Amino acid sequence: MAAIKELGKSLVQPLLAVVIGLLIGALVIASVGESILGTYQEMWKGAFGSFYFFTSTLARATPIMLIALGLSLAFRAGVFNLGAEGQMVLGAISATLVAIYLPAPGVVKLVAAIFTGMAAGGLWALLPGFMEARFRIPLLISTLLFNYIAVLFASYLVTEPFRDRSGSAALAQTVMLDKSVWLPKLFAGMSVHAGFLFAIVGAAILFWVIRFTPFGYEVKMLGQNPLFAQYGGINGIRVMLTGMFASGGLAGLAGTVEVLGAHYRFVDGALTVPNFAWTGLMATLLANSHPVGVVFTSILLAAFQTGAMGVERNTEVPLELASVISAVLILFISAKFSYDWWKKRKAKGGESHGTA
Amino acid sequence: MELLDWSLVSSTIRMVTPILLAALGGALCARVGIFNVGLEGMVLVGAFSAIVGNHFTGNLFLAILIAALTSVLFSLLFAYMTIKLKANEIVVGVAINFLALGLTTFALRAIFGVKGAFYDKDMAGLPKWDIPGLQHIPVVGEVVSGHSPLVYLAFVAAIALYLFFYKTVTGFRVLAVGSNPVAARSLGLKVAGLQVLAIVMCGALCGIAGAQLSLGQVTMFSEGMTAGRGFIALVAMMMGQSHPLGILASSFLFGLMDALSIRLQGFSLPTQFTSMLPYLLTVVAMFFLKDRMKGASHNQQSTR
Repeated sequence: MAAIKELGKSLVQPLLAVVIGLLIGALVIASVGESILGTYQEMWKGAFGSFYFFTSTLARATPIMLIALGLSLAFRAGVFNLGAEGQMVLGAISATLVAIYLPAPGVVKLVAAIFTGMAAGGLWALLPGFMEARFRIPLLISTLLFNYIAVLFASYLVTEPFRDRSGSAALAQTVMLDKSVWLPKLFAGMSVHAGFLFAIVGAAILFWVIRFTPFGYEVKMLGQNPLFAQYGGINGIRVMLTGMFASGGLAGLAGTVEVLGAHYRFVDGALTVPNFAWTGLMATLLANSHPVGVVFTSILLAAFQTGAMGVERNTEVPLELASVISAVLILFISAKFSYDWWKKRKAKGGESHGTA
Repeated sequence: MELLDWSLVSSTIRMVTPILLAALGGALCARVGIFNVGLEGMVLVGAFSAIVGNHFTGNLFLAILIAALTSVLFSLLFAYMTIKLKANEIVVGVAINFLALGLTTFALRAIFGVKGAFYDKDMAGLPKWDIPGLQHIPVVGEVVSGHSPLVYLAFVAAIALYLFFYKTVTGFRVLAVGSNPVAARSLGLKVAGLQVLAIVMCGALCGIAGAQLSLGQVTMFSEGMTAGRGFIALVAMMMGQSHPLGILASSFLFGLMDALSIRLQGFSLPTQFTSMLPYLLTVVAMFFLKDRMKGASHNQQSTR
């Protein structure tokens, strides 16, 4: 009961922000002289209009959701991980290479690839965590820097040693994965794949961890009041490192399922151009780091994007309507974000890990 | 083709300008205890409004002014959200970047009716200034002369910011707010006011950085043309310890790496590694500079 109440409370403000976002979106649509209602109708159709579009929205929501889940755990512990992009890309390329070169039967390869992707993302996140713990290098800055290093390194791997030179050489990409390691689609002919189930299960597990396990309690204490957590005998560094590993691992999984379930190869830029990492960050913020809320906000943000694609196909309004609405959403959420959760921490003061 | 020659230095100076300007803006924010992730968006808005201003007024000076003012408006939104509504600056910064990308692309369609990029062959870019007396001296002329006025402005801005921080009363106050906001407030300093001042000045610098991108280098606007330069500026700011001269040095490093990585393509070396170098260097530098770094970024917690 308390859980439902908490969920309800954390959803009121986001819904209000959605309304404000749509109102500002309406202003923008009106400024290009298009019909507001017509445009929003197209948006709805593009996102949920048919079963096909609905599954496309879910497919797009999958990586966003996984990243957002990881970040929500980190944020709950007061750890500001801005490195999801690098963790995702590094996870994806590692998983791809395992899926291509590991000499094993299909299913074994698939499982190995998934675990490799998670491990690569997690370890890449652990490194800045370690640097913060050991050398007091702000996590906020190091994770941001690590994005570039990871993305450029992955880009090098697919342009030089592991490039597919058989087909058209225009794109920097690996060879196509063998069909046996593809993640199955949930419905024939639709784009949503098994990765979506991973995200849903991940949300459930994370909810359980945060709510019912001692670790979840430690995370909560650390996030809300680091000083109290310390007095309570909670090993802040251990919780921070675990949180970083888990959040990086989930980002790595996001990249992995995108490769195994949607692209079937690692294409340079295919994960960074759609801005999955920053959209995931927004989804976390919208849901106030609630794992179940993240499921809905990820689908919402993905729906804006797929809906905007529909808008662009059928009207004169450009795709970027989605960015405008999402950004306004975040601005209106962030004010509350601080009032509730952030400010409480600040009022009580105390050292935290990399959030400053 | 030579790998290292004087024209490399010349192109470094050109490439460094937008990064330097934005990084100086970021330093102003950092010095009042605000970590501004929104630089990227503010530069993008500047780049777009410079083109709009140039298209409709036909006057380059006005175009730059419009770019600066629009970015200032944008920065006021940032200031309002972070200072008045006490929203987390990173969250707002991320939202500002999305908003800037969305609005500029949207306005590109709404104002010019084009998608992707706007280019007008009749539009004049920023002039190249030849420095009298210097331009004919070998090497010096090649390196120093023949840049757009904004390039020179960027270097003047770095020196001006140094003088502002360390030679003026307001500058000292800004530094005081950054190093200990509680003490600054107890001295009767208007902490919020100084923070807004810094953010607005940051907006103006980012706007000018954008104008250099869209009018100084190419005379066009394309969607998302900042391509991460705002984040690079952020890194340059951190590496330079928010000190104007430190930023000058670190921006140069990024500019040089940029210019080098373009040139290295001719040598069939993987450009990814040269592009990676500044970030790796910054990580390494942080191991040595961590103590002073703390002062610049760790105490925002207590500002509000």
